[in-house]
Amino acid sequence: MKKWIPIATGLLAGFMTAAISFADFSNHSNTVAANSDTKSNAEKVYVPFGQKDEYYLFASGGHSGQMFIYGVPSMREIRTIPVFSPDPATGYGFDSESKKMLGGYTWGDLHHPALSETNGDYNGKFMFATDVGNSRAAVVDLKTFTTKDIIKIPNTSGPHCAAFVTQNTEYMFLPTRFATPLGQKYEPLDQYSKKYRGVMSAVTFDEKKEKLHIAYQVALPPWSYDLSDAGKKSSGDWAVMTTYNTEEATSTLEINASQADRDYIVLFNWKQLAQMVKDGKYENVGGQKMIFPEKEKGAIYLIPVAKSPHGVDVTPDGKRFIAAGKLAPTMTVFSFAKAFKAIENKDFAGERNGIPVLQYKSVMEREVNPENALGPLHTQFDDKGMAYTTMFISSEIVKWNPNTGETLDRVPVQYSPGHSVAAEGDTVAPDGKYLVALNKLSKDSYLSVGPSHPESMQLIDLSGKKMKVIQSVPANPEPHYAQMIKADKIKTINVYPKDPNNPDAVYKQKDTRIVRKGNEVHVYGIAMRSRFIFDHSAKRPDSVEVNQGDKVFFHLTNIDFDEDITHGFAINNYNLNMEVQPGQTNTIEFTADKAGTYPIYCTNFCSALHQEMTGYLLVKPK
Amino acid sequence: MIVSKSKLSIGSSILLSFSAVLIVVSLFYPWWEMQFFAPQYPEGLNIIVYPNKLTGQIDIVNGLNHYIGMSNFSEENFPELRYLPFVIGGLAGFTLLVGLLRKQKLLYMLIGIFSLGGILGVYDLYRWLHDFGTNLSPKAPIKVKPFVPPVLGHNKLANFNTYSILETGSYLILAAFVLMLIPLWKDRKK
Repeated sequence: MKKWIPIATGLLAGFMTAAISFADFSNHSNTVAANSDTKSNAEKVYVPFGQKDEYYLFASGGHSGQMFIYGVPSMREIRTIPVFSPDPATGYGFDSESKKMLGGYTWGDLHHPALSETNGDYNGKFMFATDVGNSRAAVVDLKTFTTKDIIKIPNTSGPHCAAFVTQNTEYMFLPTRFATPLGQKYEPLDQYSKKYRGVMSAVTFDEKKEKLHIAYQVALPPWSYDLSDAGKKSSGDWAVMTTYNTEEATSTLEINASQADRDYIVLFNWKQLAQMVKDGKYENVGGQKMIFPEKEKGAIYLIPVAKSPHGVDVTPDGKRFIAAGKLAPTMTVFSFAKAFKAIENKDFAGERNGIPVLQYKSVMEREVNPENALGPLHTQFDDKGMAYTTMFISSEIVKWNPNTGETLDRVPVQYSPGHSVAAEGDTVAPDGKYLVALNKLSKDSYLSVGPSHPESMQLIDLSGKKMKVIQSVPANPEPHYAQMIKADKIKTINVYPKDPNNPDAVYKQKDTRIVRKGNEVHVYGIAMRSRFIFDHSAKRPDSVEVNQGDKVFFHLTNIDFDEDITHGFAINNYNLNMEVQPGQTNTIEFTADKAGTYPIYCTNFCSALHQEMTGYLLVKPK
Repeated sequence: MIVSKSKLSIGSSILLSFSAVLIVVSLFYPWWEMQFFAPQYPEGLNIIVYPNKLTGQIDIVNGLNHYIGMSNFSEENFPELRYLPFVIGGLAGFTLLVGLLRKQKLLYMLIGIFSLGGILGVYDLYRWLHDFGTNLSPKAPIKVKPFVPPVLGHNKLANFNTYSILETGSYLILAAFVLMLIPLWKDRKK
């Protein structure tokens, strides 16, 4: 017998035994969708412990100024990200950096969140949002789920018609809800049509520096701009937005802005606008490059649409845009190709405020009017290109085919949905599967908490033939629009990496120190389980003594490079608190104007000896 | 002496050269590892020992160990890490030399030195484990009984289960040792 035979046989036998004993031949392919008809609602939304949700849901927090993060399909709330409002729990608006970013504002009205895109698909890197309350724009880094930059948008009031990003995040556009005089100067309302403008801003984002920047602005007519969407693929250089109050009414808009049978969709080519700026075809208004469309023609057009529309949404293939009528019970399907042709043929029905108006009939493809479906507001899409439109007044979601106008299905929701969000439902490649109706009223849905109730989010299963509401959860005020992204697209970090270039960071105990410069006191300290070290060489390393009136800076680094070990830093009776996440360095600054003895303590439970993680701030009287 | 005159075969020479290569390669792999599991660390923490360095979540382990008053693990605390690569490199050189000279007596010496080195290494590791586990600070917030984690195998301390395991480098060294033993048997007096 050859010598190798027994050896080879032995090895083979070993491998086979190992394979039979340890290998897992079971098929792990996604069974959720396949079983959707046989699973109960409870099974569809139950995500057992140890498993994670399939999607992240980013819901706008409306006038809370925050953003809420949910998991889908469990609908568990995972996190609240403070964006435009201070948040004591995370020290947002208390530590120096976020305090500076908030710019003294104590609230915001976060409306429409928009994820960064590559080729018209979410890339999972950044989230943009706008503040209707104080006219700001912000960017959230999805590595850390924290706000990185906020800018104030001059010449504009209430960027409700935002944010929407172009298909490679070249621009984020912020059209405004309220027309005001340029620079928000005083002008009598009788001068409304002459002196007021609805300014749109084009904002660029520097991904490396994580900074927002206003590239240019457009002085649109003094109308209200409501919702918008960027083109995709063949319409990628274009964008659309809805208008109301083209009546240019200045009071009781409820009545006076609802008179004309038609308002307009604004269709604009952002590449041409950028070219105009390059060619110097703008005026300087309060430091901004302002394009006046009545002077610089060729980039902006108007399309008549059924009155006071709310949403306008581009189909995933980029060929059509759908306006939701709100006051007219009609969804109007327009064709980009037809619009481009009308522009080429100068098929105009005159001008309005110096902007060419395209013939309605030349651009419109179809009016869709499902029976008794009232108050269409906003449309999302599934993987087959089917449309889902929220009906605010008749409280339902209508599924329909944009290619034929045929109504496919309807499902009631409780009650009055504003927006809805489907899984990646505004990208070039929607996933189908799920849609969340963002309802304004919940009334009798949950245990009563008095006259006012939470908003409500209802999860709808799209995988079967019929839409099916499978879960309902209350939400804090107030989800307007939301974004739903496949969970594996987001890559978070576990701890902040060491930053050797940060002069405020201290990573070693022996580098902790207190530096005095005149009446400024800089503490370079560390937080670790379970102590503060402000000056390792001091008799009491966790006490700091300053003089009354000193300007005090605590630069604190959390040197627990351990996921989820976050420390807090509060000064008792000084109304101060901040957090330092694992590996992070944060600064809090204040004037020690009150003399006395003030305990310092860790506010974010960190360890079994968290209660002992304390120190003292001693402020010596003058 | 008769023994000294006996020559190792070419085959044995090749095996010894290969053994020397394995020893050199082992320098680039971890030799020993301790894994730590707790309810709040289901993913586990570890300390990984190379001949010349420590890696793993040492800072986190140190941070946790300070609660029971254990001193810090750090490369400065282990002088072995500074000379061990040279000792191992020297052994590899000697192994290669034995392979080239093909003298039986030298092979005995090599195996002797190698065995002694192995025993000393294991003893050294045990000494450190004993040192860390028994010299606990009397001021520690959580008092535990002095303990000695095993060189190999499982230990339970408070909320932690620890596992001491051999890593690739040790297996390479064991393989190198086996390659040394084969010539001993192959070229035995028939």
